[in-house]
Amino acid sequence: MTQDVEMADQAPPSKSLSSADPSVLPHLKEIASLIETGAYAREVRRISRAVRLTMVLRKKLKASSLGAFLNFVLVPGSDVHSRLSSFLPKEDEHDMEVDSATSGTLASVKHSLPELEIYCYLLVLIFLIDQKKYDEAKACSSASIARLKTVNRRTVDVLASRLYFYYSLCYELTGDLAEIRGNLLSLHRIATLRRDELGQETLLNLLLRNYLHYNLYDHAEKLRSKAPHFEAHSNQQFCRYLFYLGKIRTIQLEYTDAKESLLQAARKAPQAALGFRVQCNKWAIIVRLLLGEIPERTVFMQKGMEKALRPYFELTNAVRIGDLELFKNVAEKFSSTFGSDRTNNLIVRLRHNVIRTGLRNISISYSRISLTDVAKKLRLDSPNPVADAESIVSKAIRDGAIDATLDHANGWMVSKETGDIYSTNEPQIAFNSRIAFCLNMHNEAVRALRFPPNSHKEKESAEKRRERQQQEQELAQHIAEEDDDDF
Amino acid sequence: MDPKITEVSQTFERFKAAVVRNDFDACTRLLSQLKVLLTSFTSLPPLFQETSNAIHELTIARDIYEHAVVLSVKMEDQDAFERDFFQLKPYYTDARGRLPASPQEYPILGLNLLRLLVQNRIAEFHTELELLSQSALDNPCIKHAVELEQSFMEGAYHRVLSARQTVPDATYAYFMDLLAKTVRDEIAGCSEKAYDRLSTSDARQILLFSSDKELLQYVEKEHPEWEMKNGFIIFQKVKDSVPCKEIPSLQLITQTLSYARELERIV
Repeated sequence: MTQDVEMADQAPPSKSLSSADPSVLPHLKEIASLIETGAYAREVRRISRAVRLTMVLRKKLKASSLGAFLNFVLVPGSDVHSRLSSFLPKEDEHDMEVDSATSGTLASVKHSLPELEIYCYLLVLIFLIDQKKYDEAKACSSASIARLKTVNRRTVDVLASRLYFYYSLCYELTGDLAEIRGNLLSLHRIATLRRDELGQETLLNLLLRNYLHYNLYDHAEKLRSKAPHFEAHSNQQFCRYLFYLGKIRTIQLEYTDAKESLLQAARKAPQAALGFRVQCNKWAIIVRLLLGEIPERTVFMQKGMEKALRPYFELTNAVRIGDLELFKNVAEKFSSTFGSDRTNNLIVRLRHNVIRTGLRNISISYSRISLTDVAKKLRLDSPNPVADAESIVSKAIRDGAIDATLDHANGWMVSKETGDIYSTNEPQIAFNSRIAFCLNMHNEAVRALRFPPNSHKEKESAEKRRERQQQEQELAQHIAEEDDDDF
Repeated sequence: MDPKITEVSQTFERFKAAVVRNDFDACTRLLSQLKVLLTSFTSLPPLFQETSNAIHELTIARDIYEHAVVLSVKMEDQDAFERDFFQLKPYYTDARGRLPASPQEYPILGLNLLRLLVQNRIAEFHTELELLSQSALDNPCIKHAVELEQSFMEGAYHRVLSARQTVPDATYAYFMDLLAKTVRDEIAGCSEKAYDRLSTSDARQILLFSSDKELLQYVEKEHPEWEMKNGFIIFQKVKDSVPCKEIPSLQLITQTLSYARELERIV
C-alpha cells in the first residue's frame, strides 16, 4: 500500500508539466488502489464504488492522462499495455518516453491484477466512445470481451457488466447491433454458468434491446420468458427490463400488464434519466389509451417533458373527444415523430378506440338516434356507412362498451337507461381491489426490510476462508499462466 | 455446374410441372425430396456458409419454399402453410443482404398475416406487422391484410366481406373464404346481443345468406337457442338487467376474512 501512495505522490509532478488537466490522474490512481483493495479483500462494493467514481471523472478524461494511467497500472511492453495504448491518439513522443521511464520501473514491481486490466479496458472504451471514435471503440470492446471470457472472478463482475453495456453501445452507435447478437448470447450463457447475476441481468437487457432494435418481438419474448429470473441487483437494469417487457407486452396486446410494467419503469427510473422516462411515458400513454383510459393532464405536464409529449397530448385529446377526423389529422401531423418513436402501428390500433369513445358519447347523449346520424357523427367514410355503423354498434354492444339495443326495422339505436351503479356490486369490487393493493404494498414493504438471503456467508470460518482464497489465487495464477501461453 | 444443384433444379422443374397439373400427390412427394436435398447445401440458413454457389443455392431454396407455401394454400392445409412459411422466413429476414428481393415476398407475407387473422392469433399478427418496414406496409398485399384486421376489430364486417372482391392475389381466396365464416359467426354473436328480434329476411341479409333455407340450417346448427316465430327470429336474451338483488354472501365472507387475517399480520 505504501508503495501506491508513493507513486501517487511522485507521478503528478512529472505529469503536471505536460498534461492539461493534472487533477484527473491522482483520482484515477485512487480508484485503482480502491479496485486493488477490493480485489484482494474480495469486496464487490469497493469495485462498484470505483465504477461510480469513474463516471464522475468521465467528462475530464484526456488522452494524456489516460496514457499515463496505463503506464502506471499496466506493465509497459505487455500485450495489454501496447494494445490499449495503440487506441489512444498519439501525442508528443517526448512525454510518452518520460512517463514510461518513470513509472515503468515502479510498476514492474507488482504484477497487474485482472481487475485493473479490465478496468483499463473500460476506461479506454469510455474515452473512445466519448471521443466518438467508434471504430476504435469497437475494436477495443471486442478485445476486452475476448479477455473477459477467460476471467472468472466475482470481483470482475461489476466491471464486466459495465463493459458489456459499452460494448453493445458502441455497436449500436455504428448501427451494427445484429453482428454481436451471437456473442452476447454466449456471454449470457457464460454469465449464467458462473452465477454472475449482475452480468446476466445486464446481458439479458442488452439482448432484449438488440432484438427490439430490429423489432424482433417474438425472439425477445421467447428469450425473456426462458431466461432465468432472480431478484434485481441493479435498479437501472431493472428499469430497463421493465421497459422492454412493457414494449413486448404492448405489441402482443397484453395491455394491462404492459401498462403496469411501463408505469413502474417510469416511476423507478432515476430523476436524471429524463430521456428514458420520456420514452416510458410515451408508451404508457398509448397503452392507457388502448385500454380505453384517458391519462390525466398532469402526465403531460411533467417537468422537462411537455415538449416531447406534445404530440401524444394532442393524440389523447382526439381520442378523448372521439373525433375520427381530428385523430386522423393528428396522426398525420406528427407521423414523423410517431415514426421515429416506432409507435405508428400502435396509433393505427387506436382508431378503434376513437370510434368506441365517440359511440359512447353518442349513447350517453341520446336515448334514441338513427343509425344514419350515428354514421354521420362518427364520420365513417365508407361506401356503406349505415351498414357499417350498424355492425360497429352491435359489436360495441356485445363487447359491453355501450348499453343499448338496435332496432333494425326502424334503423335506430335505443340506449338503455343507465342504472344506478350503487345498486350493483361495482363499488364493492372497486373497494376490494384497493384494499388488496394496499395490503400487498404493506407486505412487500415488510419483505423488503428483511436481510438478503446470502448474508449467512459472513459466518464462514476464518480457516475455511483462507483455504478458499488460496485455492482461488492458485486458480487465478493458473489462468494467468495459460493466458501468457496463449499470447 | 454442381451436380447437386442440377439435381435440385431438375426435381424442382418436375415439381412445378406437377403444381401446374394440380397433381397434389406428386407435389408432396417431390417437395419432400427437395427438402431433403436442400439439407446438403451449406450456404442455407442457419449455417450461411460463404460458398461459391451461395447465391444460386439460396435463390433456388427460397423459390422452392415459396412454391411450397403456395402449394399448401392450394391444398388448404394450414399446418403445412405454417411450417413452410417458417422455413421460408429466414430467407426474407436473415438473407436480405445477400439476395435480391423476391417478387413473391409481399404476397406471401400478406398471406401469412391473413392466416393469423383467420386463426384469430391477433398478438402474433401484430408481432409480424412490427417487422415490416413502411414501404412494405404500403404494398397492396400487406395493406389489404392490415385493413382487414382494422375493419375486423372495429366491427365493420361489411368492409371485410367486400374486401373479398379486391383480393390482390388469387391465392388469397382460400383464406378469405375462411374469414367469411369467422365473420358470420361474429355477426351472429353480436346480433344476438344487440337485437331483441329480427325479421327472417333482415337476418338473412345481415348474416349474408342467399336463401332462407341456408339461414334456417345455420340457425339450427349453430344457435338452436334462437326462437323462430311468425317470420321473426327472437333472440333468447338472458334477462339479467335487473340489478343484483341477492347479496353474494360467500364472496363477502371470504373477503372479510382475508382482511381480518391480513390486519392481524400487521398488528
